[in-house]
Amino acid sequence: MAAETKTLSATHSASQEGEDLRQEHLMHDPKPREEMNGMVMEAMQTTSKKYWIALAIFGLGVLILLFGFWGNQIITGMGVTGKRRPVFWALYITTFVFWIGISHAGTFVSAILRVFKAEFRRPFTRAAELMTTFGLAAGALFPLIHLGRVWTFYWMIPYPNARWLWPNFRSPLVWDFLAITTYLLSSTIYLYLPLIPDLAMARDRSTGWRHSIYKLLALNWRGTEAEWHRLRKAINIFAFAIIPVMFSVHTIVSWDFAVSQTVGWHSTIFGPYFIIGAILSGVSAVVMILFIIQSTMKNMKYFIRLEVFDSLGKLVLIFSMAWAYFFFNEYLLHWYGGYQAVRDLLTFHAQGPTAWVWYTMLICNVAIPWLTLWNRKIRRTPLAMFIITTLVNVGMFAERYTIIPLTLGEQRFPFDWGAYSPRLTDISIVIGTFCLFIFLYLLASRLIPLIPVWEVQEGQMAHSTRKLGKGKVTSVAELE
Amino acid sequence: MSAKSVQMVLYPDTHLDQAAETIHRLRQHGIDDRDISVISGVPYSDKILGRPMSWTRIGLIGLAGAVVGFAIATSLNFGTPYLYPIRVGGQPFFPIPTSIVVTFELTMLGLLISTFLGVFIETITPSYGPKGYSPKVSDGHIGVLFSCPTEKMDEVKKGLEDLKPEWVKNPEAKL
Repeated sequence: MAAETKTLSATHSASQEGEDLRQEHLMHDPKPREEMNGMVMEAMQTTSKKYWIALAIFGLGVLILLFGFWGNQIITGMGVTGKRRPVFWALYITTFVFWIGISHAGTFVSAILRVFKAEFRRPFTRAAELMTTFGLAAGALFPLIHLGRVWTFYWMIPYPNARWLWPNFRSPLVWDFLAITTYLLSSTIYLYLPLIPDLAMARDRSTGWRHSIYKLLALNWRGTEAEWHRLRKAINIFAFAIIPVMFSVHTIVSWDFAVSQTVGWHSTIFGPYFIIGAILSGVSAVVMILFIIQSTMKNMKYFIRLEVFDSLGKLVLIFSMAWAYFFFNEYLLHWYGGYQAVRDLLTFHAQGPTAWVWYTMLICNVAIPWLTLWNRKIRRTPLAMFIITTLVNVGMFAERYTIIPLTLGEQRFPFDWGAYSPRLTDISIVIGTFCLFIFLYLLASRLIPLIPVWEVQEGQMAHSTRKLGKGKVTSVAELE
Repeated sequence: MSAKSVQMVLYPDTHLDQAAETIHRLRQHGIDDRDISVISGVPYSDKILGRPMSWTRIGLIGLAGAVVGFAIATSLNFGTPYLYPIRVGGQPFFPIPTSIVVTFELTMLGLLISTFLGVFIETITPSYGPKGYSPKVSDGHIGVLFSCPTEKMDEVKKGLEDLKPEWVKNPEAKL
């Protein structure tokens, strides 16, 4: 009897173990491809009234807050903004750095995790890549907005003017132009390449105008061996090559500041400091987006599981620690350097009238992630993760605000000190780009399969469990 | 020379072994590898399907693009200053460190754009092998396409009978 009981309980525990594994990991819970395709297509084609209202609100936001106020700024002049001597780089450049930072997540999540074969990436790489493209689109507007006389933007493009004068390639602003163009083009292509098989899937399951668009974009994809071979080769080249490009973009953005002799900017570690900050804010933004997708789109709970939030939570914690390390390194050496103007600046940041921004930065970027994300239960609560990562992004915005307008207002000569207060135009345009990002994302979520179904299926085929001793362990086969 | 017809058999992706066995048997029936093509909804390595290694020139095209990007960057960095020389005291005419940034970005841009163009060019370039498609492929089926002399068809069909394939009528590609 005892032996029988033991056998029964062992059987129960084995089946329970299998059930737990299925519930926990998408890779161990395969569904037929047809069903997964259907789920993704249904999510794409379902539009509720709420969706259209949200789309209209954000569309109006883009029209009025971004283009309306920008148009007024172009007609009236830069005087409508709060930019005054000595703060000429203000909220626009702050938001530019913020968006470029956000755009790092797509590449980080997709390319780096692909290179290292991190399996949990599979269901959400596309959501992150879309974020990169739209983040860059929003960020790339700011150099134009900041320019004021936007009609002269083409002076940055490398071609000679009437006097045969070429742009100065030694200027970090030209580097910016080249780096952002390279990153925007390459990340858009990197989004598109793995999308081709899913576009073909959508082509096979749609009619009318959707079918025509998918057919055109799917490049006659059939899934032959040669097509897969060249797609994999191209994705691999992109995954490896886009990583240094990603690092270069934010390094160059940091050089916009670091190559100047401005107090608080002239630092040798600004490059890596900016990159770590960018990845911290980018990965946090991925969590925010995944929470919204999971809670608002149909069938997404199957694809985006708690394991995803758990893993990304660990990444956010690690990058928060790395950010703190770089921040402390930067702070300590500046402070120890003994240069009076730098010390005055650091004192101003921590004790001046805008010290709340500095403390917001530290609380949101360090205290909140460190106090919460060590806890597995919190990492596996999507709403908690959404709140924490939103706060991290608030902290990262505060960091950029501290570095740019709050630093420029407190330079070497007291007669040139000044405070920056953003005006309605500055604030509206910044909010307008947030509306643009959300608007583009909302549109894309109904036009592009947000889940890379073939990658998910490939992962599910590669995963299995095998018995090792008395337990079951996960085993991942190399299918490539 | 006898006439050939394009045939296609489908297997659910859970029946990968049958698909690989089909390819093996088609070879035994004298059908050349060039007359066989596999289409699937997920990538399988050549080894899994027992197929000859596929090749692509994408790596080479990418490399060529990188070289072009490097050449453009070099001419912008070191050629354009000659067109309208402005000499500034204490500043080198050709500053190497600042030129590295432009060189890096344009080289990478060349590499990445040409890799994509490589995919595009190879896609639109006519290829050998049987053409055909079934929408079931994107729903999780593996399709084995082959061109077979009409007089051999019955023999081939009989040879594959025990694998229980699903035969696709008129598999000519219509996307």
